[in-house]
Amino acid sequence: MMDLAVIGAGPAGMAAAIAVADAGFSVLVVDEQARAGGQIFRRPSQEWGQRHGNYRPYSWAKDLIERFEDHPGITTAFRSTAFGVLRDPDDHAPLRLALHTPEGGRLVAARRLLIATGAHDMPVAFPGWTLPGVMTAGAVQSLLKSQKLLMGRRLVLAGSHPILLILAEQLLEARADIAEIALARGLPNFAEMIGAVPALPGHVTLFADAFRAMGKIIARGIPVTRRTIIDGVEGTTEVTGVRLAEVDEGWMRTGKPRHVAADLLVLGYGFNPSTELARQAGCRMQWASDLGGWVVAHDQTFQTSVEGIFVAGEPTGIAGAERSWAEGQMAGLGIAASLGVAADPTQRRRAGCILARAGRFSRVIQTMFEPKREALARLSGAEDVIVCRCELIRSGALDAALRKNPFLSTASAVKLECRTGMGPCQGRYCEGTVAARLATTRGATIPESGFFNANFPVKPVPLQSLCDLERSQEEHIPANTPATYPAASR
Amino acid sequence: MTEARRMTATRGPAVTFHFEGQPVTGYCGETLATALLAAQVSAFGLTREGTPRLPFCNMGTCFDCVVTVDGQRLVRACLTEARDGLCVTRHEAT
Repeated sequence: MMDLAVIGAGPAGMAAAIAVADAGFSVLVVDEQARAGGQIFRRPSQEWGQRHGNYRPYSWAKDLIERFEDHPGITTAFRSTAFGVLRDPDDHAPLRLALHTPEGGRLVAARRLLIATGAHDMPVAFPGWTLPGVMTAGAVQSLLKSQKLLMGRRLVLAGSHPILLILAEQLLEARADIAEIALARGLPNFAEMIGAVPALPGHVTLFADAFRAMGKIIARGIPVTRRTIIDGVEGTTEVTGVRLAEVDEGWMRTGKPRHVAADLLVLGYGFNPSTELARQAGCRMQWASDLGGWVVAHDQTFQTSVEGIFVAGEPTGIAGAERSWAEGQMAGLGIAASLGVAADPTQRRRAGCILARAGRFSRVIQTMFEPKREALARLSGAEDVIVCRCELIRSGALDAALRKNPFLSTASAVKLECRTGMGPCQGRYCEGTVAARLATTRGATIPESGFFNANFPVKPVPLQSLCDLERSQEEHIPANTPATYPAASR
Repeated sequence: MTEARRMTATRGPAVTFHFEGQPVTGYCGETLATALLAAQVSAFGLTREGTPRLPFCNMGTCFDCVVTVDGQRLVRACLTEARDGLCVTRHEAT
């Protein structure tokens, strides 16, 4: 049995794993990727000869990754999917985590779990969004950073999140041909910039990077249009063009759409916390639109409403890598304390400082760039627009289901009625649209629509992996023994 | 077709696998998604309406890049490394 199993090897997961392993406990860290770092620090394969990638502007990243990878008390399971938490609410048996690994299914018993599952790009449904040639900013960026693959001949970037500017700069460095960058909002105004000042200490490089990116984009003569939103893409089997439209302050269309020739549309409207495992485990969720929507509720030690299950990083609210790193440290100290080793006060204070500082910064960014969800959901309004990409449920079918069942009032009920969210992605890419459309139709708010329930298994896995769980349960791993190695120097 | 091009970089040794019966060359350390995109494959899979899909999220959450690998269905190409001798076919939804 492990003392702690961490799901996600990003900044939060790595920081927590180090803190708990430093206290002498056994830690297993699971991640779907081949290497540690999370989406933010995706790097090329080890086989390409470089240990590190470019982590700018996060000065602490290299040290964090090295301490994590070199830690003797941390076991890792990469290329592995955590697809469910098994627990018996009535007894104090350890939590069990179901894994699909390259060797098959495996059930891991752990005294504590940390959900550090990160975030994914927020999907937006509009005419043609399922066509080859439409990709998320995260997809284009990770292919560029970790695979050295440049997508598209002529690109349009559309969104509202600052990541689009950073990505645009990286694309220009790779000699991409960017036709236009369409931002749904205006640039931050003077009052907002002043408001951001208290958040600056420690984050000068981040701001500097965004400004530097903007400077380069302008110097290259790339058109950056404001108050402009995606209206649809053209093409039958692939993207041949993009339609952009002017919007007002509320992101509602004011003008007629115009055509831009392009073969790749990159979307960057923000991020959603990845919370399906927390939902499946029964952790209480709460709504915070400026933090990315549904986030996992937790106490000061980062324990969720379920005893023994902790959370850190983006699932507590989208707040960036720095904040995730800080939350990971705090959660790690909390977990160690719950296992019987109290953190030394200096360490605790230091983590607290980073947490507060990172929090100030991210609050400013989030308020500035919060997406207008109802307006985005309207982009899927036309009858033949696909709402659920997996099950091919169209807008017209969704409307018909809502009309036919006037008492349907939750997103989960809509899912049962018309299969939106029933496919392989398990609703990650239609929940936002369904909830916003339901709210608009019923004259309610988005949080009143609730969220899609997540059931075991939270991701599709081969039946064989489920069968393997039974056998794997019999493996006996000795319970925690005191530390057999010196705690890493601090 | 959505163009994809490999940038200059040090990569691992070349590997060859089959996609829909055709040989595809990739490099050790690339994912199946990268190798197939670089080979300008126009569809990783077909929906039950017969429409093509390519990777959308490249981080394992959207399942639009799924393919069949050595008979195993719903394998995410973006999370699977390209290896010699793999037999990869399009995902065909039913």
